[in-house]
Amino acid sequence: MARASPLLLYVITRALLAVPMLVILLTAVFVILRLIPGDPIQALFGGRGNPSVVAAARAQLGLDRPLIVQYFDYLGRVFTGNFGQSLTLYPGQSVMHWILLVFPATLELALYSMIVAAVVGILTGVVAGRYRGTPVDVTLRMYGIVIWVIPIFWLALMLQLTFAIGLRWLPPNGRLSPLTPVPTPRTGLYTIDSLLMGRYDIFIDAVRHLILPSLTLGLVLSGFFTRIVRVNMMQTLQSDFVEAARARGIRERSVIYRHAFKNALIPVVTVIGLQFAALLGGAILTETTFSLNGVGQLLVRAIIAGDYTMVQGIIVFYAILVIFVSLAVDIANAFIDPRIKY
Amino acid sequence: MAGKPIPSDVAIGPGPAIGAAILPPAMRRGILGRVFWPLIEERRTLTGIMTFVGLGFLVAFVVIALTAPLISPYDPLAINSSELLSAPSGSHLMGTDHLGRDVLSRVFWGARTSLLIMAIGVLVALVVGVPIGLTSGYLGGLVDRVLVLVMDSIYSFPGLLLAMALAAILGRGVVNIGIAITVIYVPLYFRVVRNHVVAVKQELFVEAARALGARPGSVIVRYITFNVISSIPVIFSISAADAILTAAGLSFIGLGIDPPIPDWGADLATAQQWLPNDIWWTSFFPGFMILLLTVGLSMLGEGINDIVNPLLRRTKA
Repeated sequence: MARASPLLLYVITRALLAVPMLVILLTAVFVILRLIPGDPIQALFGGRGNPSVVAAARAQLGLDRPLIVQYFDYLGRVFTGNFGQSLTLYPGQSVMHWILLVFPATLELALYSMIVAAVVGILTGVVAGRYRGTPVDVTLRMYGIVIWVIPIFWLALMLQLTFAIGLRWLPPNGRLSPLTPVPTPRTGLYTIDSLLMGRYDIFIDAVRHLILPSLTLGLVLSGFFTRIVRVNMMQTLQSDFVEAARARGIRERSVIYRHAFKNALIPVVTVIGLQFAALLGGAILTETTFSLNGVGQLLVRAIIAGDYTMVQGIIVFYAILVIFVSLAVDIANAFIDPRIKY
Repeated sequence: MAGKPIPSDVAIGPGPAIGAAILPPAMRRGILGRVFWPLIEERRTLTGIMTFVGLGFLVAFVVIALTAPLISPYDPLAINSSELLSAPSGSHLMGTDHLGRDVLSRVFWGARTSLLIMAIGVLVALVVGVPIGLTSGYLGGLVDRVLVLVMDSIYSFPGLLLAMALAAILGRGVVNIGIAITVIYVPLYFRVVRNHVVAVKQELFVEAARALGARPGSVIVRYITFNVISSIPVIFSISAADAILTAAGLSFIGLGIDPPIPDWGADLATAQQWLPNDIWWTSFFPGFMILLLTVGLSMLGEGINDIVNPLLRRTKA
């Protein structure tokens, strides 16, 4: 038999490794939700719950059983895709159904934010690395620092204030204008569904609603790209092959944009992976500020409504997402960068 | 805010070996000297300027927080129905909110809330994460591998989300929120300290101490801890900036500090509903304060990182 390619072996090992990672993350979620001093049910009822109601909720959720039984029951449910039923927010309805219903809004925001972050971050990073040590570099480096620690909800409010309330160029919040019909759901992403329907008016409306949220989240995340691309650009410009290109008399412009640029982009996939957790966290705040009905907002509403199963379901959903993306990024990296050894 | 400190800054992965050649000049300066001397040397470079500006910001906010009762022109809780939502003016430099409370005074008192939560969050993370990191790195083996796996999975998770879950269970209030955000930073302190220990414990002087019969406890405390301490200031400033953003985020979505208490995040959440009426001052100033403080902290971290890392490289050579 021919030897399996090391790349394939790596992909398989990495995929198998995702399972224990998921179990560990799920265990961490369980530990945090159950073993922390304080009673989740009592806390979620705001301490005002009628004792018999609280006891009933506890029994219904199986929280009166030994912890170890609860733990395996929970793992078993998660792996069979059963997230239970909502308690208070949408009583009796499937948690999974609600998560999947609102997920496209989060996905759409995440997608366009990542595009903004990558484009802005790569441009600023390459320019800063190219003009290393000059005032341009210092300015862009400061941009990278400041934008990364800007409170996302504050940036959101300031953009709303300027472009929606002051200049009235863009709608302040929501996914569509009140009178715009919701496109027939195929992907759930309004920008794609509207195009599939051929309704350009809906498409334009959806895009107008997406500009401010994506800009908010994207700009904040771009700070990270700026820094990584800048450092990488500086290193690439010092490497032997760039030196060789210069020695052959290739114009500086072309050395930078043809030779160095491509190599400086290699870490971008890794950065997208590293940024994913930040993206999800930032999306929660962005959704809240722009009233986008996504998973983040569902979580906030579930916490405030004291919907224990919904909260747990959403956190588990995020855990699966995080593991899946880190797996995808590692595999993508293995294909992109031939220097990685397995 | 983006939920996570920037890992590239913390030199995750076995850092450069230190300790071997550091002894003669550095030891004479002591622990504090080792941290502060390079600062003085670098004071004219961009790195030095950033460090000092950042330090200045932090000190300024600490002073504001400590002296809030003295420097606030008004009582931050005093409701004044004759001056609702008045724009910034001579008597109210940052205007008043929808209850006629002075925004400037609330911003000053808000510094207290923010810094207190940050201090609790970061200190608990330090107290929990550092010893576990030291032990895990020193012992190695299965314990170490399991701990690394667990900490890494927690670290890979969106910090804000974990903090939200914890805050929901623990309840509101400064102490509870401080504890809720700790969970994000324990893995960070653990990881950095552990990796540093793994690098340091290969050094000859540790080997020598062991050969002379030093017990594991004293090897960790005497020979390793002091060498690892230099990595703490960098993670401190990164985690502190992030802690402030996370705590403000929690308050903004209504899980942090209850309304009457002055808090930047909670005040922003209230201010949001007045934005459509062109009331910009109630949201601009609290958020701007968060930004100043976090920018200061990251410049400090950035500067210290630049200083500590070249120092490590120099001493290795």
